[in-house]
Amino acid sequence: MIGYAMQKRLHHAFMMFLLALVLLVVLFPIYWMLLTGIKPKSELYLPEPTLWTNNPTLANVRSLFERTPFLIQMRNSVIVSTVTTTVTIVIGALAGYSLSRLRYPGRDFFASAIFFIYLIPGMMTLIPLYVLMSQLRLLNTLYVLMLCYLGFSTPFAIWVLKGYFTTIPYEMEDAALVDGCTRLEALYRVILPLAAPGLVACAIFAFTLSWNEYLLAMLFNNSRNLWTLPVGLAGLVYGDVFLWGEIMIGAFLMSLPVLVLYVLAQRFVVTGLTAGAVKG
Amino acid sequence: MANSSGSVRPLPSLTDQQPVTTRRKRAWWAREEVFLGYALLLPALLVLGLIVGYPAVSGIWYSFHNKMIGFANPRWVGLQHYSELIQNPAVQLSIWRTAVFAVVSVGIKLVLGLGVALLLNQNFRGRALARGVVLLPWSLPLVVGVLIWSWMYSDLFGVFNYLLIKAGLIRQPLNFLGDRDLAMPSVILVNIWRGFPFFAVNLLAGLQAIPDDLYEAGRVDGANRWQLFRHITLPGLRTVILIVSLLSFIWTANDFTSIWVLTRGGPGTATEIFPIITYKIAFIGLELGRAAAIPVMLLPFFTVLIVLLTRTITQREAES
Repeated sequence: MIGYAMQKRLHHAFMMFLLALVLLVVLFPIYWMLLTGIKPKSELYLPEPTLWTNNPTLANVRSLFERTPFLIQMRNSVIVSTVTTTVTIVIGALAGYSLSRLRYPGRDFFASAIFFIYLIPGMMTLIPLYVLMSQLRLLNTLYVLMLCYLGFSTPFAIWVLKGYFTTIPYEMEDAALVDGCTRLEALYRVILPLAAPGLVACAIFAFTLSWNEYLLAMLFNNSRNLWTLPVGLAGLVYGDVFLWGEIMIGAFLMSLPVLVLYVLAQRFVVTGLTAGAVKG
Repeated sequence: MANSSGSVRPLPSLTDQQPVTTRRKRAWWAREEVFLGYALLLPALLVLGLIVGYPAVSGIWYSFHNKMIGFANPRWVGLQHYSELIQNPAVQLSIWRTAVFAVVSVGIKLVLGLGVALLLNQNFRGRALARGVVLLPWSLPLVVGVLIWSWMYSDLFGVFNYLLIKAGLIRQPLNFLGDRDLAMPSVILVNIWRGFPFFAVNLLAGLQAIPDDLYEAGRVDGANRWQLFRHITLPGLRTVILIVSLLSFIWTANDFTSIWVLTRGGPGTATEIFPIITYKIAFIGLELGRAAAIPVMLLPFFTVLIVLLTRTITQREAES
């Protein structure tokens, strides 16, 4: 019979084996993206792909920058994402403060309505949104994306910030009010600094949402020079020429900002809804 | 006397006045609070009303009209779209495919995510790093993940065909995304790869919230590993499982992007879930009104899920 210590060690070893398997499944596609991105063209389209390359190259990056509007699309993505993020934070902080600190009729209704709105799938409003934006003559601009993404990210921001503001003791704000601050000054000077992790979470959410969104960016803008990165990269697949080296290195470049943000603050973003936004 | 009483008089009136002024002040404060409350909420309400509220309502209106792209005055057609769509085999099939896609995908993500959460809950060196790595597929932009898989699936130069042939599992390269029977499992696999980390990380947080004393007590009572899991872990995770599965189901059923980039709903209509057929009717067939009726038809179903989800999350927030 196996002893208890031995059984425990076997169990542990088996667990570690399973974990290694999971990590392999997770990492292999990412490895394949990087490898494809740095392979020379001559090694890309072989009937038997190589799992390693001895000739890493930046040729795909150069080709991506010169032959496709990647850089213009990156600029579009940066503009849309930063504007959306900034405005989301402002609107979200004001509304979150209002819903958590001020008492007025209808407050609780608005709070649950906003959360409900966050969960409404985008498909439900896609067609009327298209008609509306075409009536407002906003199609084929970057504004249309900023406006729409704002509508998707604000409910989340309000919800998270409302949770954060509720945890900040009233006394701190009262002290500022007694010292002669207006409510908005108290929000700016006292409450926002204390809710910094919540602000970070909202910023990351708004940024990644605008950075990653595909459907509206594809539907609302016709010209390649108005596309954002997801649409631009996916558009390279259906061309006449195989551009997988360019697509993969472009995919990697596009992932970098998002990955950096996640490494900095992954905990808040992923478990934000389920763990309760309250815990910091 | 009269003089003195006259000089005294202001005193009580002064003390009288004080509560009056504070009461007045409080009333004024209260009014300012109401005004400020609405004023600060206003930008959010405007944006949400314009981007979500108005479209949601006008979508229902369009679904009763013969709205076409490029024609200004839609004609009222009543329930015609609905009766036509309900009997349309392509639409029925797409709703069935949506159900298969979402149920199978969420089911596997849940089981896999729970397994990985249990693994990550063990004590070992580098746990934080492993947790970060597991999260990678979820943190990559959706389109990036989808493009990688699309390339790995390639029937000509794809690494999967190479590995499978090398392992002796298949003789001829498979056309993962171009084969009628393989396309659906292939897109489901992509969805699982990207989505299971969301389950794993949230379930891990749930596991860590279960107090150790419960396990202690269970062990003292002589429970084995399976019994501990069945009677302590699973009940402890019930709410998280419900929230995560509902969220994921809503997202998966509406996942236009990954299927559009992988297969455009094809081959034929093999992966045509409802967002894809809606898009095709609206923007390739140019029949906006008819297409708008499809999401409206499904709206009651999703509303039930969303209400259930909202209630669960709000209750949870209230508890913590």
